[in-house]
Amino acid sequence: MRSRILATALAAALGATVAGCGGDGSGGKDTAPLDAGTKVSITVGCMPAKSQAAQRREWLEDVAAFEKLHPNITIEGKDAFPCIDPNTFQAKLAGGQMEDVYYVYFTDVRAIIANGQAADITPYIGQSKQYPNVDPAVEKVFKDGDKVYGLPRQNYSMGLFYNRALFKKAGLDPDRPPTTWAEVREDAKKISALGDGTVGYAEFSAKNQGGWHFATSIYSQGGDMVDAGGKKAAFNSPQGRAVLQNLKDMRWTDDSMGSKQLLVDADVQRMMAAGKLGMYLGAPDNATALVDQFKGKYEDYGMAPIPGSVGTLMGGDGYLFSPKASPEKIKAGLMWLDYAMLTPGQGQLNYARAAKDGRPVGIPQPKLFGQNAVGEKDRQLRADAANLPVGNFKPYEDAYGKVPGKLEPPQAQQLYTILDSVVQAVLTRRDANIDQLLADAQKKADAALARSGS
Amino acid sequence: MNGTRTLVSPHTLGTRRGKAVYWTALVSIVVVFTFVFVFPLYWMVTGAMKSPDELADVPPDVFPHHVDLSGYREAWRQLDLGLYLRNTLVYALGAWLFTMGVDVTAAYALSKLRPMFGRAVLGLMLATLMVPPMVILLPAYLTVKDLPLLHVNLLNTPWAIWLPAAANAFNIFLLKRFFDSIPTELIQAAEVDGASPARILWSVVLPVSRPILGVVSIFTIVNVWRDFVWPLLVLPDAQRKTISVAISSLAVQVPQNVLIGSLVIASVPTIVVFFVFQRHIMAGLTAGGLKG
Amino acid sequence: MTTARTLVRPAAARSRRRPSRTRRTVKRNLTAYGFLCGALICFAFFSWYPIVREVLLSFQKTNFVGEARWVGFDNFRTVFADPGFTDAWVNTAEFTLLALVVGYVVPFAVAIVLNELKHARAYLRFVVYLPVMLPPAVAVLLFKWFYDPGPGLFNQILHAAHLPGLSWLDSTSTALISLVIVSTWMNLGSGTLIYLAALQSIPGELYEAAELDGAGLFRRIRHITIPQTRLILLVMLLLQIIATMQVFIEPYLLTGGGPEGSTVTVAYLMYQYAFNFTNFGGGGALGLMLMLVLMVFSAVYLRVSREEAR
Repeated sequence: MRSRILATALAAALGATVAGCGGDGSGGKDTAPLDAGTKVSITVGCMPAKSQAAQRREWLEDVAAFEKLHPNITIEGKDAFPCIDPNTFQAKLAGGQMEDVYYVYFTDVRAIIANGQAADITPYIGQSKQYPNVDPAVEKVFKDGDKVYGLPRQNYSMGLFYNRALFKKAGLDPDRPPTTWAEVREDAKKISALGDGTVGYAEFSAKNQGGWHFATSIYSQGGDMVDAGGKKAAFNSPQGRAVLQNLKDMRWTDDSMGSKQLLVDADVQRMMAAGKLGMYLGAPDNATALVDQFKGKYEDYGMAPIPGSVGTLMGGDGYLFSPKASPEKIKAGLMWLDYAMLTPGQGQLNYARAAKDGRPVGIPQPKLFGQNAVGEKDRQLRADAANLPVGNFKPYEDAYGKVPGKLEPPQAQQLYTILDSVVQAVLTRRDANIDQLLADAQKKADAALARSGS
Repeated sequence: MNGTRTLVSPHTLGTRRGKAVYWTALVSIVVVFTFVFVFPLYWMVTGAMKSPDELADVPPDVFPHHVDLSGYREAWRQLDLGLYLRNTLVYALGAWLFTMGVDVTAAYALSKLRPMFGRAVLGLMLATLMVPPMVILLPAYLTVKDLPLLHVNLLNTPWAIWLPAAANAFNIFLLKRFFDSIPTELIQAAEVDGASPARILWSVVLPVSRPILGVVSIFTIVNVWRDFVWPLLVLPDAQRKTISVAISSLAVQVPQNVLIGSLVIASVPTIVVFFVFQRHIMAGLTAGGLKG
Repeated sequence: MTTARTLVRPAAARSRRRPSRTRRTVKRNLTAYGFLCGALICFAFFSWYPIVREVLLSFQKTNFVGEARWVGFDNFRTVFADPGFTDAWVNTAEFTLLALVVGYVVPFAVAIVLNELKHARAYLRFVVYLPVMLPPAVAVLLFKWFYDPGPGLFNQILHAAHLPGLSWLDSTSTALISLVIVSTWMNLGSGTLIYLAALQSIPGELYEAAELDGAGLFRRIRHITIPQTRLILLVMLLLQIIATMQVFIEPYLLTGGGPEGSTVTVAYLMYQYAFNFTNFGGGGALGLMLMLVLMVFSAVYLRVSREEAR
């Protein structure tokens, strides 16, 4: 007890980072459940915006049910669409404008923890009944050593997203998507031969998304972004060269990647929904964006495992806690996340309700739980309520357990910025020198990684 | 416009060759200007009426297949543009009120009350004109995030727009110069009648200053409406964004025709203001630009 | 001695009126500062203090959780070592120059031509100024769509004229000029109208006299139009340099600094340092450098415009 007071005093005096570091001192766990008499009000990020009427209604239902269950807790959702605007996210973070329970991409979690912008929730993690059932490979994202900082909401592994309608049109079998990069290249050629502005394969190359997809591609080639120690860049490798050479061939030799570059996810989704794009790397939930935002049709899309199936990038999103949040708020937040995000049949995992609301069910995402009873129950509930042509995702889902997933590198955003440039060069300059580009990028990346270490 | 002699003499214009050249030039200028400045807007307005497939067509159609307003409707609904227009209006009107209150009184004090160190204060204010807003973006942001001495966080509040808008040296300069030109006799007469300085400002100075007040008002409001990077930083909350910031971050998430529809809706208010206050705006522009 | 006498004498003479006069002065000053206090507070918080803080910031390291640390010239060393630093200055200079070539000469030429026309003047003036009234974010996003190398308007126009399409924003050789084009399109109107006003103030007799001397059209422009508008031309030159050196929204919305960093400007790099790399010190150092450069131009501008006002 005394040590806890000491830690609290330290935290108060020195600010929130110290609370994280001082955690060793606190030692004991605060396992006591939230006192039902303590009134707590928490703000939570990523409430569905008004434009997503069905999701918003479900969220409000969940909040009402949860508050009925715990009359002392008030949940104040903060809506935003999209939940993260990458342009302003860092500004919001630096400005201390985050909600008590705030939404993040896996990509940023490590840097946020390192900067002391998230609260250490280790002492209170017992409030989440589902925490032990979460796939350890996923929960690892939110951990720094033994300390826990957050919980996942969605997770995915990247695969090859493709347009079944265009496959048919190009004389390809939509049930047999390409499985290697060589086949991707062949099929892309055939699809772009349809003409009329049709693009065979598209790749992101702006707003750090080029770097993010480069990481995915290099994993698919069996390569890596950084060395084991995380202090040196490892992408200047045969695998890295293969990624870029493949893009270069498709862009310039085959001309199957269209002329518009510097694309980001929304551009590519827009092309896909307009029926002008054959394939790109993506996660299953792209189908939702394509249909909800860009008015595409589910039956047109399918998903295959990442070409090569040697490795892929694991990504997702989840919630962290404001470093200013009190233990009561953290406990309440954990209870809410447990209720609305991590319990099969409830909240976001209430598939029956989603289907009833006319929302798509059956996309193989999220896969939050390991191979345990809870995970089994979740899969079963989803399968029972499915209202989508789930067969279109079967190739991806069958391979899910077999393709090793890798997390994003440290200093992810900085490395992505550097690699954006590299991908841009390959896609916009016919004479781009791959070896030179990678060598230059490695120098910059090494410097960035070294800086972060100090 | 007749009578004033310009570069080309009326005599040259009067000749048959001169007339031919003049009319050819006039017609081609009207055509070129319309094409360069109006056609893009036409393309925008009609683009929102095309379907996403139609927008991807190569070559595109000059006229949409059929007039379909769903692009606009979707933009309004999906992006919640009503909210952002309302936000921007609140920011603009508030900034206008503060600018009027703060800058007019300051200019009056400097011009007519002439306190000690008045020149120094004016000098310090005018000196800020040498530092464009962009270069103090970061420290200004940090200031708003944690106001020195008071330790108040103004982020995500309208104050973050209103108060900095009032710290406008150019407005004070314009107003003071105008007040300087108001005859002293007018003010002395009021003083003799026993009017207080506030009274003089309200019933003597302001009524004769309408033109300059109009210019300052329009520019304050239009500037808030056009501003981008400052509201981008100080209003990160999705519910509080200005229309410009909102469409730039949200519009990429919707189909092309909806994106274009949102661009049209966002530009309607300023274009309407332009239609209504055209003369004031142009007069103000030359007043500010020439002598500023 | 004499000084003392002159000081004492009139004071003694006016001793009866003195208190009321002092009180009046005090009262006038108090009232004046009462009127000024709103502006003083606003300027202190949002103009004067940030300027000072800009300088401090560039010598500090801060992560907003703990206290800021003094780090001397470390931030400057970091940005100097950044390979993007020189590029950003080169890009900014290039942007400014290109914008001058297009955005400075063109409005003046347009104004000269418009001033000669006797018809459609109101329409043309309205039309040139129309883009200025669009919110810049709208104009920039509109052009982003036009620049699409596929179905975008510009390449379609080129194709219609049987010309090959360009890559616009997607090529290191055309991206920067594409930004200049948007920027010029949306700002051309104000320059044109200001020049137009200046041209209208040139006395017609000057042209008449020159014509009698046998001066041709271009000699009249060179010897009358330009000298007569010299000051306004200079003022606008400086204003435009100051405005374009701060260019931010165009790279931010159109290219994100790409391709390959070819459109990263100093202002954009400053933003990136602060909000993408969470390095406010580095951003502050860049801001300070930009501030010093722009202050030189601003100082000249203020001098010139004061001369103009006379």
